[in-house]
Amino acid sequence: MNRRNFLKTMGWGGAGAALTGCDLPTTITLEEGKEEVVSYLMPEEYVIPGVGVWYASTCTQCSAGCAIHGRVREGRVLKLEGNPEASLNNGKICMMGQAGVQGHYSPDRVTKPMVRNGDTLTETSWDNAMALLQEKLGAVSGDRFAWFTGTISGHQSALVSNHLDAMGSKQHYVHEVVNNSVSQAVNRDMFGEANPRVRIDKAAMVVSFGADFMGASLSPVHYAGQYAKFRTKKERGLLVQIESKMSLTGGSADLWLPIKPGTEGVLALGMANLLLNKIKVSDAGIPNGVRKLIDEYDISKVAKITGVAGHRIQRVAQLLTERSPSLVLAGPSVEGHAHGYASVAAVMMLNHILGNVGKTIESSGQFPFPQLMAKQGGTADLLAFAEAAKAEKLDAVVFYGSNPVYSAPKALELNEAMNKVGFKVAISQFMDETTEVADLVLPVASYLEDWGTQVPMQQSENSAIHVQQPLMEKLYEDSKGLGDILLSLLKQRNNDEYGKFEDYYAYLRNAFAAMPAAVKNNTTNNNEFWNNTLQKGVIDVASSGGKLKSTVVSFADPVSESANADGLTLVPSPRLGLYDGRHANLPWLQEAPDQISKVVWDSWAEMHPTTAEKLGISNLDLVEVSSAQGSVTLRVVLLKSMHVDAVAVPLGQGHEAYGRYAKGLGVNPLQILDATTDNKTGELAMYSTRVTVKSVGPADSLSIVRMGTGSGDSQAGRKLVATVPVEQLRRTEGS
Amino acid sequence: MSLDNILNHWSDYRKGSEEGGHHDYEHRWAMAINLDICNGCNACSTACYAENNLAVVGKERFEKGQAMHWLRIERYWDQQDKDYPEQGASFLPMMCQHCGSATCEPVCPVAATYHTPDGLNAQVYNRCIGSRYCSNNCPFRVRYFNFYSYYESAWPEPMEQQLNPDISVRDKGVMEKCTFCVQRIRTAKDKAKMEDREVQDGEVMTACAQACPTSAIVFGDTMDENSVVSKLWKKHQVERGVYAKTKLAKKDKDLRGYRIFEELNVDPSVMYLDRVREDI
Amino acid sequence: MAANNRSANLNVQHRKGFVLAWVFGMVALLLAPAAIATKYDVNAPTGTHEGEDVAQPIEFPHNIHVKDNGINCMYCHTYARRSKVAGIPPTSKCMGCHKVIATDKPRIKKLTEFWTNKTPPPWKKVHDLPDFVHFTHEIHLKKLVFDRDFPVENVKEVCAFCHGELENMTVAKKVKPLNMGFCVGCHIANKELGAPGDCWKCHK
Repeated sequence: MNRRNFLKTMGWGGAGAALTGCDLPTTITLEEGKEEVVSYLMPEEYVIPGVGVWYASTCTQCSAGCAIHGRVREGRVLKLEGNPEASLNNGKICMMGQAGVQGHYSPDRVTKPMVRNGDTLTETSWDNAMALLQEKLGAVSGDRFAWFTGTISGHQSALVSNHLDAMGSKQHYVHEVVNNSVSQAVNRDMFGEANPRVRIDKAAMVVSFGADFMGASLSPVHYAGQYAKFRTKKERGLLVQIESKMSLTGGSADLWLPIKPGTEGVLALGMANLLLNKIKVSDAGIPNGVRKLIDEYDISKVAKITGVAGHRIQRVAQLLTERSPSLVLAGPSVEGHAHGYASVAAVMMLNHILGNVGKTIESSGQFPFPQLMAKQGGTADLLAFAEAAKAEKLDAVVFYGSNPVYSAPKALELNEAMNKVGFKVAISQFMDETTEVADLVLPVASYLEDWGTQVPMQQSENSAIHVQQPLMEKLYEDSKGLGDILLSLLKQRNNDEYGKFEDYYAYLRNAFAAMPAAVKNNTTNNNEFWNNTLQKGVIDVASSGGKLKSTVVSFADPVSESANADGLTLVPSPRLGLYDGRHANLPWLQEAPDQISKVVWDSWAEMHPTTAEKLGISNLDLVEVSSAQGSVTLRVVLLKSMHVDAVAVPLGQGHEAYGRYAKGLGVNPLQILDATTDNKTGELAMYSTRVTVKSVGPADSLSIVRMGTGSGDSQAGRKLVATVPVEQLRRTEGS
Repeated sequence: MSLDNILNHWSDYRKGSEEGGHHDYEHRWAMAINLDICNGCNACSTACYAENNLAVVGKERFEKGQAMHWLRIERYWDQQDKDYPEQGASFLPMMCQHCGSATCEPVCPVAATYHTPDGLNAQVYNRCIGSRYCSNNCPFRVRYFNFYSYYESAWPEPMEQQLNPDISVRDKGVMEKCTFCVQRIRTAKDKAKMEDREVQDGEVMTACAQACPTSAIVFGDTMDENSVVSKLWKKHQVERGVYAKTKLAKKDKDLRGYRIFEELNVDPSVMYLDRVREDI
Repeated sequence: MAANNRSANLNVQHRKGFVLAWVFGMVALLLAPAAIATKYDVNAPTGTHEGEDVAQPIEFPHNIHVKDNGINCMYCHTYARRSKVAGIPPTSKCMGCHKVIATDKPRIKKLTEFWTNKTPPPWKKVHDLPDFVHFTHEIHLKKLVFDRDFPVENVKEVCAFCHGELENMTVAKKVKPLNMGFCVGCHIANKELGAPGDCWKCHK
């Protein structure tokens, strides 16, 4: 059986042809003989109209790369679920994964190639588009050509690299707003691996400094699975979350500690101080400079700087020694400062002191296909790109899977920079802000229509390649798969090598055939391997054992340079849902209330009532949040789940393009961020912008919509969610 | 089928606990939700939108309370007197509780909502005349009324291709609510019937239970003594068809299982397990 | 034929349950949501459209296939025992025979044209249930044919309960009302076969 033929046969007569079932619920027909039944021209044996069949593929809604199953009926994909074969996500996917079908069926997709004609984009044919590419890219050489993508992995990533090689360029800018670049740098320096395996499930206690591991982070479903084990094991795991804005993960904490933004490193040093000096844990391996730094931060000083009560710090430090193994994590709010590297290093040092390395932080081993591993994005590449473009060093850039025009702070002057790029190609599914300024737009197939491989960057114990296969025929004939576009680009440069592949499918088959026997389960039959792989959706590849080192690097004093300045610190918090703004065009996710504030279809500023009172702001006022770079105006929601020195404006809204569901809603806080960077890694210090907030309009409960207004936030004495102390759990269920 | 028949049939399965309840069910589908591992992430709710053809109503109608979220995550703050919610938030997935003696059923003037032989609280859309009595009588506020026709606004072409053909798209004027994914139950039962066997535990999975990243939601048949959900109910001494007072008096107070508004004696089919916090 | 002795003797009670349930059915149809929403001037359906001609792209002669050539219903409507829908046969199935049989006939020429153009003929629905009714063929066939050891070669007699005697029709026509009373009447009469009386069996 050949799935390609199956899909091709299904395609005749366009999308309608897929609807063989007699019961597409559109409108109720009372009159007979009016509705058409479209039959198959030639069915495949395993297609039964009226029966849904699940096929394996891979989610690309964020860079986690969860394996999925898609329910296909009458040639349409209807519902996505996690693939239980994948130990990464164990049959689960998050809300963004669930909403993947909406992006695929979005009414706002780009359906035809488009070319710039003065101020507008006009439709063109693929032939013309390819000819234009041949001409424009042919005239560019070396590093004056670049790719600009989001995190990308698998064979598509390998082809991007090959295309860059063929162009003689080394410029691959990889940009992600939600990233862990600074942590990667620290991990590399301290443990020898950028992304060691984090084992929440093995920890007796987790202290998370702003790591929203179950929220908008790098692999929320994987870590939520670990979290469930952590909470349900015999000795229920203890979670302490320390952050300035309560994250989704923070909502589940046993102890949620608000901290003055940017002082997380200081708190970590304070804990280290207690551990080393009071509780007498060994200081082996800590460099003298760091040891000195630790000694400077005694508890009273730390409490004063961080705003966290001394007895809390003491208690947490004490528990850390009692509950072993523990795990200390650092998240983006620790990374996003000029002293981000130092702060993360101070936090991660606690793992060294507590002996967690090798226990709850493990080596992720040597992945056998380094060329397929994820190229992970950060914000340093965005800065580098803006600089190169402004200096007119780029003649042609291909954009895919990233929307820098939306996500770059105004301070980077990206609009101006984009104007100075000679020729901009956008491989895109939607008219987002970046696609709108492109010179050539290539409509890309949705991930549910495309072939590919994804290598999750946070691997579970069993590392794997996740395979992406089309779950249905393309909705738009004139869209092309990413791999196919890459191949045609490569054929233009190097037909000798790539001409032999008819399409990306052929390329992948060839690549799979070339995999070593161990990966192929020792079968020599390539068809069998291919079919088994498509059925399973996952190729298990054993990562060879690695060993982490447990060292502490020297780092600078993680003091907050702006801690005593006027105003508040802006927390541009990503949401599980709209994420960095890429899912603002999915109505299910717009209508899903934010997990903490319960706001829908909007932006809001989140602030502590005490702060608001000082500033003369009341709940639901219209407020102006201003930084040195500009301001945004939006409604304020007062919640005690904020530190008094911070104001949060969640990411995701404020689109000026991106289709009917995204455009014109809310504000984009990324725009008003300072262009400050982390001193060590050059990553954008996203969590360090200082802002002032003032009320510019009276409260209006109708202009911002929250789920459950009226009934309020209190259980009002009803037993809805009851909370019991852990001792009670231990009596009945524990050890 | 006569009207008498319908009324008899209907009342058959809705005897309250005061009458000793009804014990002749074929199945009794039920849930157990562990609030200690529910992190409020919304995966269940979005999965429900995908599975059940739920309309997106938009900001203005959401504001009027017309959202169609059959499964919503409520969030409560329990430490309102403190400066900060130091024990985090309290999340509660709330959907139709499929009460054994449901308060919505007897008030329906046209028997559009009734109890099925497998213990579900059914809503028959084509019989519903939109009186909304049921919704007014529901203590859980989990019934959602179609004030508008959404099939054009919520699914602009080609989004309608995502609609699940196994269930109807509801139109203006009818009430709708969580069905415990009845289409999945029916498909599994049909499959079992085709193979001349009983439905196995785990064979029916509601979209929410399937999606839950922490597996906080467990779904199954409480008539099947060996099902996971049965064992959980038993372990936590949550029983059906028994007066709340009698039950609460003899229950081990340390057990975490409870049903919301137990004191109303509506006999819900959803058991929640207390959220746990370690006070440090 | 031995099978004749065991021909279908299902106790289809049209009359008894019919009147009341038909009233119920009418109420349901009257209040069918789409009717309210799209056409306020909609009248109660005046009939169930039995016996009306349905114009098809090709006037498919059921009689020739079923009666003259004795082809089993499930040869073409092959999904009936495996799915909720019986399925309109794929064009390839027609061409399986008509590549060689009766290729000179105008209807077959039309069919061949569809085949060469790679478009299936746009058949019209004849037995169209409202979208809030979820009928399933497979269980009905299991209960009425396979579980009763009813000879499969005579399956047309079972199909005829709802679809009429196709062997005597050319283009298929609806001959049974297929309204709620029709379904429920049969379900009540055949309770012992396990015919469910639960609304949520069909309406969901």
